Amino acid sequence: MLQSYISEIGRSAKSYCEHTARTQPTLSDIVVTLVEMGFNVETLPAYAKRSQRMVITAPPVTNQPVTPKALTAGQNKPHPSHIPGHFPEFPDPHTYIKTPTYREPVSDYQVLREKAASQRRDVERALTRFMAKTGETQSLFKDDVSTFPLIAARPFTVPYLTALLPSELEMQQMEETDSSEQDDQTDTENLPLHMSTDDSGPEKENASVLQQNTSLSGSRNGEENMIDNPYLRPVKKPKIRRKK
Amino acid sequence: VPPVGMLLFRMNRKKGDKGFESPRPTTHQVVCINNINFQRKSVVGYVELTIFPTVANLNRIKLNSKQCRIYRVRVNDLEAAFIYNDPTLEVCHHESKQRNLNYFSNAYAAAVSAVDPDAGNGELCIKVPSELWKHVDELKVLKVHINFSLDQPKGGLHFVVPNMEGSMAERGAHVFSCGYQNSTRFWFPCVDSYSELCTWKLEYTVDAAMVAVSNGDLVETVYTHDMRKKTFHYMLAIPTAASNISLAIGPFEILVDPYMHEVTHFCLPQLLPLLKHTTSYLHEVFEFYEEILTCRYPYSCFKTVFIDEAYVEVAAYASMSIFSTNLLHSAMIIDETPLTRRCLAQALAQQFFGCFISRMSWSDEWVLKGISGYIYGLWMKKTFGVNEYRHWIKQELDQIVAYELKTGGVLLHPIFGGGKEKDNPASHLHFSIKHPHTLSWEYYTMFQCKAHLVMRLIENRISMEFMLQVFNKLLSLASTASSQKFQSHMWSQMLVSTSGFLKSISNVSGKDIQPLIKQWVDQSGVVKFYGSFAFNRKRNVLELEIKQDYTSPGTQKYVGPLKVTVQELDGSFNHTLQIEENSLKHDIPCHSKSRRNKKKKIPLMNGEEVDMDLSAMDADSPLLWIRIDPDMSVLRKVEFEQSDFMWQYQLRYERDVVAQEEAILALEKFPTPASRLALTDILEQEQCFYRVRMLACFCLAKIANSMVSTWTGPPAMKSLFTRMFCCKTCPNIVKTNNFMNFQSYFLQKTMPVAMALLRDVHNLCPKEVLMFILDLIKYNDNRKNKFSDNYYRAELIDALANSVTPAVSVNNEVRTLDNLNPDVRLILEEITRFLNMEKLLPSYRHTITVSCLKAIRVLQKNGHVPSDPALFKSYAEYGHFVDVRIAALEAVVDYTKVDRSYEELQWLLTMVQNDPVPYIRHKILDMLTKNPPFTKNMESPLCNEALVDQLWKLMNSGTSHDWRLRCGAVDLYFTLFGLSRPSCLPLPELGLVLNLKEKKAVLNPTIIPESVANNQEPVNSTNNHGQSVGFQNTFSNSQEEEEIDMDTVHDSQAFIYHHLNMLERPSTPVNYLLIPFYQFLLGKEQSSGEVNMHPVSAAPLSVFSKESNSSKHSDHHHHHHHEHKKKKKKHKHKHKHKHKHDNKEKEKDPFAFSNSPASARSIRSPSLSD
Repeated sequence: MLQSYISEIGRSAKSYCEHTARTQPTLSDIVVTLVEMGFNVETLPAYAKRSQRMVITAPPVTNQPVTPKALTAGQNKPHPSHIPGHFPEFPDPHTYIKTPTYREPVSDYQVLREKAASQRRDVERALTRFMAKTGETQSLFKDDVSTFPLIAARPFTVPYLTALLPSELEMQQMEETDSSEQDDQTDTENLPLHMSTDDSGPEKENASVLQQNTSLSGSRNGEENMIDNPYLRPVKKPKIRRKK
Repeated sequence: VPPVGMLLFRMNRKKGDKGFESPRPTTHQVVCINNINFQRKSVVGYVELTIFPTVANLNRIKLNSKQCRIYRVRVNDLEAAFIYNDPTLEVCHHESKQRNLNYFSNAYAAAVSAVDPDAGNGELCIKVPSELWKHVDELKVLKVHINFSLDQPKGGLHFVVPNMEGSMAERGAHVFSCGYQNSTRFWFPCVDSYSELCTWKLEYTVDAAMVAVSNGDLVETVYTHDMRKKTFHYMLAIPTAASNISLAIGPFEILVDPYMHEVTHFCLPQLLPLLKHTTSYLHEVFEFYEEILTCRYPYSCFKTVFIDEAYVEVAAYASMSIFSTNLLHSAMIIDETPLTRRCLAQALAQQFFGCFISRMSWSDEWVLKGISGYIYGLWMKKTFGVNEYRHWIKQELDQIVAYELKTGGVLLHPIFGGGKEKDNPASHLHFSIKHPHTLSWEYYTMFQCKAHLVMRLIENRISMEFMLQVFNKLLSLASTASSQKFQSHMWSQMLVSTSGFLKSISNVSGKDIQPLIKQWVDQSGVVKFYGSFAFNRKRNVLELEIKQDYTSPGTQKYVGPLKVTVQELDGSFNHTLQIEENSLKHDIPCHSKSRRNKKKKIPLMNGEEVDMDLSAMDADSPLLWIRIDPDMSVLRKVEFEQSDFMWQYQLRYERDVVAQEEAILALEKFPTPASRLALTDILEQEQCFYRVRMLACFCLAKIANSMVSTWTGPPAMKSLFTRMFCCKTCPNIVKTNNFMNFQSYFLQKTMPVAMALLRDVHNLCPKEVLMFILDLIKYNDNRKNKFSDNYYRAELIDALANSVTPAVSVNNEVRTLDNLNPDVRLILEEITRFLNMEKLLPSYRHTITVSCLKAIRVLQKNGHVPSDPALFKSYAEYGHFVDVRIAALEAVVDYTKVDRSYEELQWLLTMVQNDPVPYIRHKILDMLTKNPPFTKNMESPLCNEALVDQLWKLMNSGTSHDWRLRCGAVDLYFTLFGLSRPSCLPLPELGLVLNLKEKKAVLNPTIIPESVANNQEPVNSTNNHGQSVGFQNTFSNSQEEEEIDMDTVHDSQAFIYHHLNMLERPSTPVNYLLIPFYQFLLGKEQSSGEVNMHPVSAAPLSVFSKESNSSKHSDHHHHHHHEHKKKKKKHKHKHKHKHKHDNKEKEKDPFAFSNSPASARSIRSPSLSD
């Protein structure tokens, strides 16, 4: 009860303060709250000054391990005002000392490419080896199964899905390249095939807009631009046949 | 509701176009499939045909139907008796030892003829109940109602049911119709002809989660009473041939085309994003065709359905097309995009010509294929440009020329005189071209290719404008006719015939194209030119010599105009030579004096003027290069001789891509530094067509190999590749991928593949090249690319495979890891990694797996890795992506050949019989034919009697459900054994047989030499189709009747045929029908319409015989009597029939279906020695 009472005071006070477009509750907010809650504010000062009131004391001081003098160096930073005195001291000043070292960051293109390539290769190799070790394998050499382990071919129930849908990695990549907008640095006019890399953009947008229209109009019957396609029409209920 | 009660109509056709009039024109057909069970793969339904009799005494109606089980037939609500007989189920009957292909092909052609709807035949013969005869005589309408079912169809309808948990819709199970040419009879009874049109009402009741897509307009979709299923009602008011009816049912995702709302696309679940991208282009194709044909798309709607396990990539039907789902692709895929667009365009072209306009007869097929192929070509030209178009035409031309020279010719418009096989216009082939169903698939592909090339020749002759006018005329006539009622006799306007088409051309253009037609359409063969020249300085004349080879198979003599283009210093000049019988030499006056005016620019054909370095040319001659028939206006092969510098000039300065490609191929024979320079320059020229540049890569590799001892500098193309695709600062590292420029992309893909073909003096791939390719793989980085690099990586693996050379083997040692060549180790490392990564991150269409499998086979074949088919066999299993399976199967086929493995051959043949995917079955036979384990006249341990029997069985009866597959089996049999009796078979026990009938001794027919076998009479002719068996009584619909199994009926056919033959053999005195069994056999069929079939219910086993019994034959009959008694019992009601015996007719055709072709031969036949 006490807890809910106190939190109600807090909640209410906050509401009052926010009502007056402030963020920090003031004393008057609390007062209004208490009044609202039917509490006689007048009695409060008397209650605070009562004789048998309880005081929360600081925790008993334990014997702190005294650091040997030899190990201390310099003066520790004093506590700022908001940190109670019984909190531990700050570390020694030397612990804050840093010695920046200057080395050329790896920015050489060749090295970067080299690194990326070998890193990828290592990852791929480790991954495939792991897969090969944990699963069934096939081998090209009868006498040796470990040097070139091939993960065994496993038929799919629906083989076309994996073959046609782009993998998640590729999807992610596609989104990235789309946002970073890989510029057509090269001559797009000379494209040998009219595969519309440049004009696919607006077209596609059109398509998707129209597509949305389709779905919208499909759901909202009676709109003006409704697409009349027999496959979008609702399925009819069966006619009730009279029994002969 | 179909029109009822109208009077007779005779098809408004000219005689000669088709040669007969259909006795049973159908005006309207209802197809209703009320139950489809995906679990059992079965279909139950009925059809109802509205028929207008054209002849008064029509008492038998013949329809096409295969593999359907027919329960009940009613004509105008009266039960009707029917017979089901399909002679194509088993082509050659009797367990004869006859094993020569000639015999088979004749028998097969005869069997197909016997059920050919165009000749009024069919597998299903329905007897019109006698109560209706009067009705028929008044030529009143008949309604034929047939209840049928289909259980586990092997052809015609293909079920795809993934083996997993969930409902059929969740699994993505679907079913679709498929087949080659007229195959509709496989899934419902109909008149399965392209020339018989009618209107349609189609109803399909399917699971509520499924969609049924079919022809015509979807009128409504209605739930069934339990709301668990729904019925799709389709109406097709445009008269359409049964062969153009199709169906696809599955849990499809539906996409209404955003540009054309009457167009709807369907794909399997989860593929919608791909479908959106793939079909986003289709409206442009629509616009293009409608514009050039100045005609609206004929149907009121269009549907595209993308399905798995497709029979062919593209199949066009009335108002819908069925595509392979593997054509779908995302925006990241470059290589598939143009291919898929081509498929869409092809399908759409066939909607106009092929579906809407159908054909009069099989021999008019070329017009349809020609026109649709031709307008598709126009679309190509507009979409991909003139270069691509000309390249394609050249490619198609080369293909047809190569095929015709190999096989002896493709005939577009065969005319069959009197049905005699002697007049067979294609006697050089091992199959009959009389029917589409007997054609080899490869032949048919080439046929289509030739058809559109010939259309292009006609265009050259009469101009494109007239050509399009002709098409427009055909279409507008058809579309007027289509809106008419059946009774107006207009529907035949929707059928195109060769004569009608030619007449249209002459009306529109006023030109006589008869010589052209005679040359390319009525006659097979291509022209082979050999050209050479000399320059006569004194007369300033070019003396051109053009020879022809018209004696080799597949060639023909060309007489007529031939264009020759001569590029001189002063410009390019066209000359039209008249090719005549005996003149070989042609003098062409030159326009320019030979001179060295280096400053002057040289004008080209297209008006461009260019500077050339003329130092290479002959100082005395003004000729730069010469081209024969530059416009490809003759179907020909030209071998022309000119000096290397002329080819180089042609490559550098001729603007026609075909000329450039010809020059590249010619330069292979001139490995000189000058050729090298010309090729390198072309490679670097960005304005040059990318395909030419790609071709130049391979030529350069060949030249470099020929010049290996004098080659200077880095390996060919390496510095070029480095300059174009590698980083400026670190030339050994390739730039991160950016495929925005497709030209560069294709070049980047191709160059490494060509470079890997380079060889050093030891005939090994230079280490430098191998390391270079390995580096390309290592540094390949696609992270910043908008497009997928799967095709690029696949080609890099192909490049690795190309670099492999045969292993140096010491004493045939066993290949182990220890003696592995270090270079090969590096290659294997890459292949292993790629193949394994594919399992984790599969590439589009698994291109990388495909390349890896190919590379592994190359390593095996070259002796680096032990030869072993196990890996490939696991990838060939059902459940892998089709491209992967094909690649794996190709490796197994190759293994079978190289290692002469009987076991693998058996494994492959088992797959041909059992694999669920028709395309795979077909492809295995195709690959075995192209890369055969052995050929005729070759000693091989694989060639034995068991194999002969197995293959014979396969083509004789094992493939009756798929025309394409059967023809594939025939092709393989031909490749392995040739036309005559396979050499591995033992000689028949009896070399001599006595023909008792003729009292002559002749050589056993089974060992007739090929030449004689060729002259055999057709074993069965069309007027023999009356040998119908398995008469089934249908008066009661009892349980018992349903138990009659069609299969057992078929099994007894061999027996029945045999006996029927005996009945019909004129000179043999035979007792007829003493045995009750025969009572349900039909007698001799007569086209005259005589009535001799009487259903007599509950009649006693009345017996009639025409002649008294001769003891010899009665014994024979008794032999079989017993085993057939059982079957007989099933038929409660017996029919007796009179056997009318038309002796005169018999005489003409005395050997019908007998297996004694020997009797057809005279005593003069070769050696009687044996």
